[in-house]
Amino acid sequence: MASRRRRGDATTAALFLAPGLLGLTLFLLLPLAASLALSFTNWQVMGETSFIGLANYRRLFTADPVFWGVLATTLAYTAEYLVLNIVLALAMAVWISSLPWGRTLFRLVFFLPTFTPLVGVALVWLLMLSPGGVIEWGFAGLGLTVPNIITDPRLALQAIVLVSLWSHFGYNMLLFGAALEAIPATYLDAAAIDGAGAWARFWKIKLPLISPSLFFGTVLTAITSLQTFDQVYALTRGGPGSSTTTLGYAIYNQGFVVYRLGYASSIAWVLFAVIMALTALQLHLQRRWVHYDA
Amino acid sequence: MRSVLRLACAALLTIACAATARAEVKLTWFMWSGSEPEVVAWKHVAELVHEKYPDITVEFQTTSFPDYWTKLPVLAASGKLPDIISLQSLRAPGFAQLMEPLDARIAADKFDIGAFEPSIIKGLQRGGKQYALPYDFGPLVLYYNTELFAKAGLPEPRPGWTEEAFMKAARALTKDGTYGFAVSEPDAFIAFARSKGASYLSDKGDLDLTNAGLKKAFADYVALVTKEKVAPLFPASGTQSSSVANGRFTAGNVAMYVDGPWQLLNIKKKANFRVGVAPVPVRSAGSITITAGSGFGISATSRNKDAAWKAVQVMTGPEAEKYLAEAGRAFSARKAFQENWFATAAQDVTGAREAINAALATAEPFVTTPNWSVVSALFLQYAPLAYAGSETPEKVLETIQTLATQ
Repeated sequence: MASRRRRGDATTAALFLAPGLLGLTLFLLLPLAASLALSFTNWQVMGETSFIGLANYRRLFTADPVFWGVLATTLAYTAEYLVLNIVLALAMAVWISSLPWGRTLFRLVFFLPTFTPLVGVALVWLLMLSPGGVIEWGFAGLGLTVPNIITDPRLALQAIVLVSLWSHFGYNMLLFGAALEAIPATYLDAAAIDGAGAWARFWKIKLPLISPSLFFGTVLTAITSLQTFDQVYALTRGGPGSSTTTLGYAIYNQGFVVYRLGYASSIAWVLFAVIMALTALQLHLQRRWVHYDA
Repeated sequence: MRSVLRLACAALLTIACAATARAEVKLTWFMWSGSEPEVVAWKHVAELVHEKYPDITVEFQTTSFPDYWTKLPVLAASGKLPDIISLQSLRAPGFAQLMEPLDARIAADKFDIGAFEPSIIKGLQRGGKQYALPYDFGPLVLYYNTELFAKAGLPEPRPGWTEEAFMKAARALTKDGTYGFAVSEPDAFIAFARSKGASYLSDKGDLDLTNAGLKKAFADYVALVTKEKVAPLFPASGTQSSSVANGRFTAGNVAMYVDGPWQLLNIKKKANFRVGVAPVPVRSAGSITITAGSGFGISATSRNKDAAWKAVQVMTGPEAEKYLAEAGRAFSARKAFQENWFATAAQDVTGAREAINAALATAEPFVTTPNWSVVSALFLQYAPLAYAGSETPEKVLETIQTLATQ
């Protein structure tokens, strides 16, 4: 009797899971498998396609004149953006949570860019950053000559970081803000009575208590910044030169400008591997600094 | 259950009967467009087909010009190519493979191909076969702002004007935040290079950006931004440099720039000054510009090729060409209707007729390589390095050559 009911439960569970599983298979697992298969072909959309084994990967690692530069750019961008995003979001969250009034207003204001369409935003930034634009004009008004960050290949990546930060730090800020709000006031009061200053309360109580949120924010931000595409597409199209070409943009470029979809798939799998490795590393490291026992 | 099935069968039968009785053909047509008036013009052209052949309906599908060339291969890959494909001459070497050769149909119907400008007929061929019938064509010319010329006390450019006169004007017009000229690439640069006698293709027709002549020409072109400072520096961005140049020109911030006659209507709509047109300046090899144009053909996978052939003939036929010329959308590929373009679109533009006629006298068809969209994208991405002085023009051409031919 009991086992029959369990079987009945299993059938019900399977039925409930089926739609989700079907979606997962159709829209995630199948395309994933297809792109892996494609990465072993020379599919160019038009013309003949044949199986070429590991040739795409061999070319990527040994012959492609820009691949290693693109990988380095992506990692440099991720490292810089990740640190700046987390520090800025945390600083703003702590500052806002300490305000006696207007917390909701400030959260809303800084969260606004997150749901503004990035392509439109990037166009406005492009106008401001262009030579003769409002930023150059502003610095000139102060009597300062600064190099133009969007035309200088050594600095162009900073334009992408700047726009990404402006448009995306609000999400983490909200996340950390919510975690800060959830810290019981008794902990902080007790610490204050014991003589802990604001600085000590932050490092010893707040930070450990919000560490799960901090970890979540870090992992997610790292993944999205490794995949960065839309800022680059809308702002610089990977230029000048290849100075702002990220792996995400390189995939698009090889796939839909050069029409080498097999080759683009192999870059996508390299990106997948990098993301997996980095996420695994973060999951491993979290044991040292994330506390779930609040 | 059975009654539902019976009903469904009956419905299907009715539909089938109706379809066979009227034998209507619905064709899909994919075309780029950049503004609402353009969409209206193209829908009118589709309507002309239905008027002539009431059993044929042409469904117009559109997107922006750069996106068109991204979507077309994707449609091909997913087996969803439209019946009628629009083809630009520069892209013919790369995209003609998606299309059906028209030669047999042209011969069978004794279709008069001689009514069209020969250079654009050739531009829409590949391997000696005709893949599309043209609706427009035109040479790249120099657009200028007549008011800025008058204010600077300069004579307006005329056919035969020289590089020295151009440089003098460009220098005089560059002041108070306004620039004399705007560079764009690759098309406008190719016209500049050809006028200096430099070639971008080898004798065999392969991409050859690293020959000494072209390197020298590119260095001179870049010097307009870096050394002469008569042209503004545009960053690499999602907007093509020719569109940025067009925007700065119509805003009155740039006095001269190079573009095709197909831009005239859009320029006139945006500019609040009188526009002038002149051929590109005479340089060491003369005033040599390049011509390009576009047309319509039949997809190789269409199941309605006969109907599509009928439609393409109407869409590039006299009535459509007259309409497009007078609407100002196309400098007609049919010689008989070029006058309509001069008389309407160009009626209040200084020098349009003599400039275009002079340009055509020495123009060359813009010959390209099959991967020209890649070359084009690489120019937009890498040329800004030279304009900003971060890399030498020679090095930039070497990089583009390497990446385009790897």
